[in-house]
Amino acid sequence: MKLPLSWLREYVAVEAPAEEIAERLTFSGTEVEGIEHLGAGCEDIIVGEIRTVTAHPKADRLRLCRVFNGTDEVPVVCGADNVEVGAKAAFAPLGATLPDGMTIKQAKLRGEISQGMLCAEDELGLSSDHGGIMLLPPETVAGTPLLEVLGGVETVLELEVTWNRSDCLSVIGMAREVAALYGVELKVPQPVLAESGKPVAEWTRVEVADAADCPRYTARVLTGAVLKPSPLWMRRRLSCCGVRPINNVVDITNYVMLECGQPLHAFDFAMLTDSRIVVRRAATGERMATLDDEERELTSEMLVIADAERPVAVAGIMGGAGSEIGDSTQTVLLESATFDPALTHRASVALGLSTDASHRFERTVDRSTTEWASRRAAVLMSELADAAVAPGMIDVQAEPETAAPIACRLARLRAILGVPLEHSEVLRILTALQIPAIDAGDDVIHVVPPSFRPDLKIEADLIEEVIRVHGLDELPAADPIGRIVVDADDARPRAVAACRDHLVGLGLSEIMNYSFLSSRALDRFGREGVAQRVELLDPVSADHGVMRDSLIPQMAESLGRNVTHQELDAACFEIGRVFFRENGAIGEEDRLAIGIMGRAAGSSTGGAPVTPEATFLRLKGVLEELARVQNVRDVAWTPGDDPAFETGWCVALSIDGVVVGRAGLLTADIRHNWRIQNPVALMELKLDSIISQLHDTTSFTAIPVYPSVARDLAVIVDEAVQHGDILRVINSVSPEELTDIGLFDIFRSKEMGNRRKSMAYTLTYRSAERTLTDEETNSQHAAIMDRLREELGAEIKER
Amino acid sequence: MATTKGTKSTKVGTRVRGGEVRVDLETLKKTVDEGLGEARTAESADALEAVRITYLGRKGLMPQVMKELKSVAPEERAEVGRLANSFKNELAALLESRRGELNGAHSASDEAPVFDFTLPGQGSRRGTRHPISMVIEEAVAIFGRMGFTVAEGPDVETPYHNFDALNTAAHHPARDRQDTFWLDDGNLLRTQTSPVQIRVMESRQPPVRIVTPGRCYRRDTTDATHSANFHQIEGLYVDHDVSLADLKGALAYFAHEMMGPDVAVRFRPHFFPFTEPSVECDFSCHVCGGAGCRVCKGSGWIEIAGAGMVDPRVFERVGYDPESTTGYAFGMGIERIAMIRYGIPDIRLLYENDMRFLRQFS
Repeated sequence: MKLPLSWLREYVAVEAPAEEIAERLTFSGTEVEGIEHLGAGCEDIIVGEIRTVTAHPKADRLRLCRVFNGTDEVPVVCGADNVEVGAKAAFAPLGATLPDGMTIKQAKLRGEISQGMLCAEDELGLSSDHGGIMLLPPETVAGTPLLEVLGGVETVLELEVTWNRSDCLSVIGMAREVAALYGVELKVPQPVLAESGKPVAEWTRVEVADAADCPRYTARVLTGAVLKPSPLWMRRRLSCCGVRPINNVVDITNYVMLECGQPLHAFDFAMLTDSRIVVRRAATGERMATLDDEERELTSEMLVIADAERPVAVAGIMGGAGSEIGDSTQTVLLESATFDPALTHRASVALGLSTDASHRFERTVDRSTTEWASRRAAVLMSELADAAVAPGMIDVQAEPETAAPIACRLARLRAILGVPLEHSEVLRILTALQIPAIDAGDDVIHVVPPSFRPDLKIEADLIEEVIRVHGLDELPAADPIGRIVVDADDARPRAVAACRDHLVGLGLSEIMNYSFLSSRALDRFGREGVAQRVELLDPVSADHGVMRDSLIPQMAESLGRNVTHQELDAACFEIGRVFFRENGAIGEEDRLAIGIMGRAAGSSTGGAPVTPEATFLRLKGVLEELARVQNVRDVAWTPGDDPAFETGWCVALSIDGVVVGRAGLLTADIRHNWRIQNPVALMELKLDSIISQLHDTTSFTAIPVYPSVARDLAVIVDEAVQHGDILRVINSVSPEELTDIGLFDIFRSKEMGNRRKSMAYTLTYRSAERTLTDEETNSQHAAIMDRLREELGAEIKER
Repeated sequence: MATTKGTKSTKVGTRVRGGEVRVDLETLKKTVDEGLGEARTAESADALEAVRITYLGRKGLMPQVMKELKSVAPEERAEVGRLANSFKNELAALLESRRGELNGAHSASDEAPVFDFTLPGQGSRRGTRHPISMVIEEAVAIFGRMGFTVAEGPDVETPYHNFDALNTAAHHPARDRQDTFWLDDGNLLRTQTSPVQIRVMESRQPPVRIVTPGRCYRRDTTDATHSANFHQIEGLYVDHDVSLADLKGALAYFAHEMMGPDVAVRFRPHFFPFTEPSVECDFSCHVCGGAGCRVCKGSGWIEIAGAGMVDPRVFERVGYDPESTTGYAFGMGIERIAMIRYGIPDIRLLYENDMRFLRQFS
């Protein structure tokens, strides 16, 4: 909200500079986000009188004017539509500097000389209005400095009013704050009406269908209004507050709203069928055109102001085009009312229509201001629009709810704040805020919240009032103490943190992706899970329309994007959540994804291309090592099937017979999307499967005392025979003393024959009870070799 | 010494029939002189080694002498033993010093290659931590030192946990479809990690001392400072006799642990539905020390956290006695802290996973 200081000072005598007031407000809960000085830089601007206007011979959109600057008439080329002979306007003469630093020089526009510039308000930094040149009242004298006409530079505070403080959405409300902060008096004028003609009840009737929707509705009738522009001072104040001046009647309703926080609406009385007002819910499907010339479809969740036949305004939000105040308006029905905040908010959201009025009604408007506002506007209309005010005001209102008194206990206040505030200080602050406080003795103060403070409901609200006005500067910072909560268990998050550390230690870089992506991006990795996907009802964009059901697609994309930056080697992991539908409900789960592409950092560069085997085995090595340090045994790798992975390069990962993830090599098709040349190995598993061992179960085993015996053997087998087969066979012999089986070489040669390979192992034998003799080792070794020959048709070479 | 038939003189004495050697002192003395001479004149490590093997090796002359000591004439036996022992020690020392000389001469020579210590080291490299998880982990560690443990909760939340239980009015704009991501089952993506606080309070009695790091969602259009998903860490301390001054102390400790020992905190009153009184907490700028710079936009202060004393109506919702229970809560954005701390100019860099970016945070 914008707060012009000159306006504020009409109600509170505070001469402190703007910066100091801003500081005080910010540190009492209403943050001042900026201070503007409107009119600063306009020192060179004067009033110019337009003497003649002729067409530009070479440009349809430009006009040639002669402008009188108080001493001379000078030629000025102008592009605005609102130049008129006799008009007074803001004029920048030759040599003048505009607020943006531009200096006016003689110019030729399409061959015509221009010696000055007629200025629009935005060019002078006065508002954002660029609707034409800034016209000034006819009585102003050419050559007068503009700032003299405007009454000087206006300082405007830009406020961030918090949601609970509806009372601060007005100049008077802020004056009340400032008065409390500075300990000075708040002076609110009491407008005095002169009424005439037939009483209002003979003009109109008001019917409110449900007082819950509209707790108070007042109406006045004003006749003989003369529509014209508002006086300059009013227009300036509206502009300073960011409200565009329209005409005197409409401007007055806006002015009074800005002044006291009560939104008003003026209807053209002649347009009200049967001259009456009905406040009711709209019928579903009912339509009306609002002031912004939009045709709106209404629902029964919206409150309207209607005449005998049709809606003439969406209550609390915007008036209807059909009853708009226009040049032909003579009789005005002035509405000052309050509407249910939640209802107003829902309608505003449903219509996508937020206005200065709805902004206030959503946050509660003080019913006790309703009458004051009506009276104030009526007085202004009689003064500025020559209107006659019909005697009386129609006032339909439900019984006001009386606010419950709140007890504020000093002991409680001191305990919550940790500050030993004096009793007298608490009383002083509440009184300064115009919150009636009764000292009940025994260090208890009873408070009846005033109607303008509907946010004060419980003791804690009062405690906040006291400390925010007292100031938080002196609040001590107590050394952190407190109990250790002994039964709080955060073993899981600590295990996840350890998992992260292990992965980084294994050379992987952590990445993070958004939780949503496009369905197209997911489709590329298979459409099996489409029905289980979770879509956002209102995504910001289609690119972020679906919750991820896997970390794989973004992992692949992240690697791919790096390739486009010539980053060909990357090993990454992401720990993140995925989302899916399960038995009709939306579920979520933490996952770990790993992606490996190219060479390991720190490995020698150059040389042979990176093979699919090497890439896959690096991935496997990472997972094996992670499982080892996380105390997870026996991750089984079995052939799997997944559209994201190359056939034959896809495995399902399971622990204790339960599938917990998948791994594989990204298909060439997907790789080509990002022009990835190297093979890409990807893996995804349920995070909890790898951090299931939350507590360290390590226990010591005695270090062997007897020496081990190592025997090498080379097993020559068909290509189809796998390492796993050899292990299985060796383990099936399972001599007690065989303690380790290490594969150290795979070798192929012509001599061995086509489709044969030699796999070389070191078998380590050791007994816990004695030094093994050669004979014992040999017989065990021989048994293994025999079994390999029998079961796998292996040819064995001992080394 | 005279040789007789069937005998043959050796370096240490005379070989008699049957292969035995009869050691005599005179021959031994000569051999000792020869051995020391050979060691002194040897010109290579190999030649030195040959000398060692000849005299001291397992089948060398001196072990032979010791073995045959019993065959030495009794009057010479002690002297032979002494001589052999002193020779062994003297030769070993000489060989050692000569070996050092020869090696020194060797490495100084131009023929042998010099090891290039400037070659790059080998072996796998440590990976990198994401700045978001680094900040979370550090924050968790700092609050951990104050007795806070981590609590977790779901990203998909009920409106009750995300709004109602947190005392958010039915028509508070935070609930609007333009601000919150709603799902078709009536639930939503949490807009803050505060619902975790509710879940923890629902599940246990005070004391509660938790931090809740996690991902949150708001319907912001992504730009340099906004992201539709982001991370928060919130904290909650509920007990008896917890005050606003305790909150300030906890945040002040966090501020200088996280941003630097000279960083101060200040409170400004604010409004949040779930705390009363509510404050915003600024940290003094760690870059300029409060003098005003580009990072703090000239003010000397940086807005970091929202906080306050838990609203008694929140305690009522979770079944705590609002009279005997007091507590504070705070929350802050992880991305914002990461950006301020590392000087990251654009929030989107945190989600692009560019290795050139990630490598900077090892």
